[in-house]
Amino acid sequence: MAGKAGTAPTTYSPSPTQKTKTPIFKGEDLDWVRPDGRGFPECRPAFLRTGAVNAASGSAYVEIGNTKVIVSVFGPRESKKAMMYSDIGRLNCNVTYTTFATPVRGQGSDHKEFSSMLHKALEGAIILETFPKTTVDVFALVLESGGSDLPVVISCASLALADAGIMMYDLVASVSVSALGLNLVIDPILEEESYQDGSLMIACMPSRNEVTQLSVTGDWSTPKIHEAMQLCLDACSKLGEIMRSCLKNAASDSQD
Amino acid sequence: MGLPNASGDLSSEMEVDAFRRLFPLRFHERHLVESIRPDARPVGRARETTLALGAVASADGSALAKIGSTTMLAAIKMEVMTPSMESPDEGCIAIEFHMPPICSPIVRPGRPAEAAPVVSKQLSDTILSSGMINLKELSLVSGKVAWMAYLDIYCLDADGALFDAALLSAVAAFSHLKIPVVSLNDDGRVVVVSEEQEGGKLENEPVNKEKRKLTLSSIPFSLTCILHKNYILADPTAEEESIMETLVTVVLDSSGQLVSLYKPGGPVLAYSSAVQDCVALTRHRVKELQKILNEAMSDMEVD
Repeated sequence: MAGKAGTAPTTYSPSPTQKTKTPIFKGEDLDWVRPDGRGFPECRPAFLRTGAVNAASGSAYVEIGNTKVIVSVFGPRESKKAMMYSDIGRLNCNVTYTTFATPVRGQGSDHKEFSSMLHKALEGAIILETFPKTTVDVFALVLESGGSDLPVVISCASLALADAGIMMYDLVASVSVSALGLNLVIDPILEEESYQDGSLMIACMPSRNEVTQLSVTGDWSTPKIHEAMQLCLDACSKLGEIMRSCLKNAASDSQD
Repeated sequence: MGLPNASGDLSSEMEVDAFRRLFPLRFHERHLVESIRPDARPVGRARETTLALGAVASADGSALAKIGSTTMLAAIKMEVMTPSMESPDEGCIAIEFHMPPICSPIVRPGRPAEAAPVVSKQLSDTILSSGMINLKELSLVSGKVAWMAYLDIYCLDADGALFDAALLSAVAAFSHLKIPVVSLNDDGRVVVVSEEQEGGKLENEPVNKEKRKLTLSSIPFSLTCILHKNYILADPTAEEESIMETLVTVVLDSSGQLVSLYKPGGPVLAYSSAVQDCVALTRHRVKELQKILNEAMSDMEVD
């Protein structure tokens, strides 16, 4: 909606000066540091909170570095009329970005790929038999994209599901790793993701040691994949502990 | 109390929650008789309001406003455009209000909420007509380049009085806005001058070194009230809005001038005395909101 009458003029984002920034990754040698000064196997600080949206049955806000995500869970509620009868419950996921989430202003439209990835990552963890004939809606909004968006959305969504009291086998924690040359960096930021040679993401249920989703893209060798998976699984179990303690705190707060 | 309806007799035996769901109107009216509301507020008082500036690092200006549970996130992104022929020395503001599916059980993906375009238009009208922003300040090089300010407001939690919270977050985002320093390159395109370069010598002089902040004159603030019988309920929750449908939104600027008055129909007809009462309540509310905004801004300066 343009602020003035007439057709909206075309605009562009004043990108930083032509002089391209020196790439953060400097060749094959180990002599470089991450833009935010972290060690390679070090995750960004995480802030988690449940009950962010009162209108929803359950919700969570997760902030990992500059990546900020809100997830609301609605239901279990009646499935759409057109849906076939189903013995088990349905899961409906949707991921949207705000227009200001990305460095260049976007359209704020649905992210179809992430929506289906989120669905697949959660499906295995939820006990769908507990809500037959009904649907649980999981809606995510990425307020700010700072890298590793999908893993943050997945972890946040499982926290919101727990807040809504949906039965699950375990929480789903998710972490990704980027391969930059010979190095593996965990929990990459946007800048690192743009230079990466390959990426590996794991969503898993830490206390059952089961993986719900594994996605590998790019250039990987078998030993590297093993190393990256171990790195991710360790980080997932740590993130799982943080998520668990967040839920425990919320529960003890509500008792007081 | 002589209650003609059968529900009156039931009320003594029923649990409060059940009564609230089965006879919502009667439930609320019973409170109003005692001059109190279900959330323990007096009739004319607004909910607790908080404001946080700079919530989104990827935007040029942003603010998070919370009125009760209603939460709004506003962010401004500055882009460059060629100004129109009619007003070569003016920039532009594009305002959009979004209700993503996370904010309310009523909104589903692919089916936008009916309220969103209405609030969007109302906000756009209010902000542009209040004269808060001088569009000339958004000009960079007259006739050649000017700023287009994209203001996007996201409702994160919808619990009534959406317009009030959206307007508060919008004006707060404008007061937090810091325009990036830019220069014109040889091709006539505008490029951002990064902070490291600012100190050193530059190939092209920045065009807007002085104008980093907008001067906000006469900031608009609003209050939505429900008219129900003889009662005026300030700052309604979503539950109250769904039960008692007559809303009046008054927008006043910081000097107390009327910017807009909006009564979108409803079964209750507003008498001039009721409208005057709404304006009086808003006048009081404007002082509160101005104080909250000033506090949020001074908190920012300390950091």
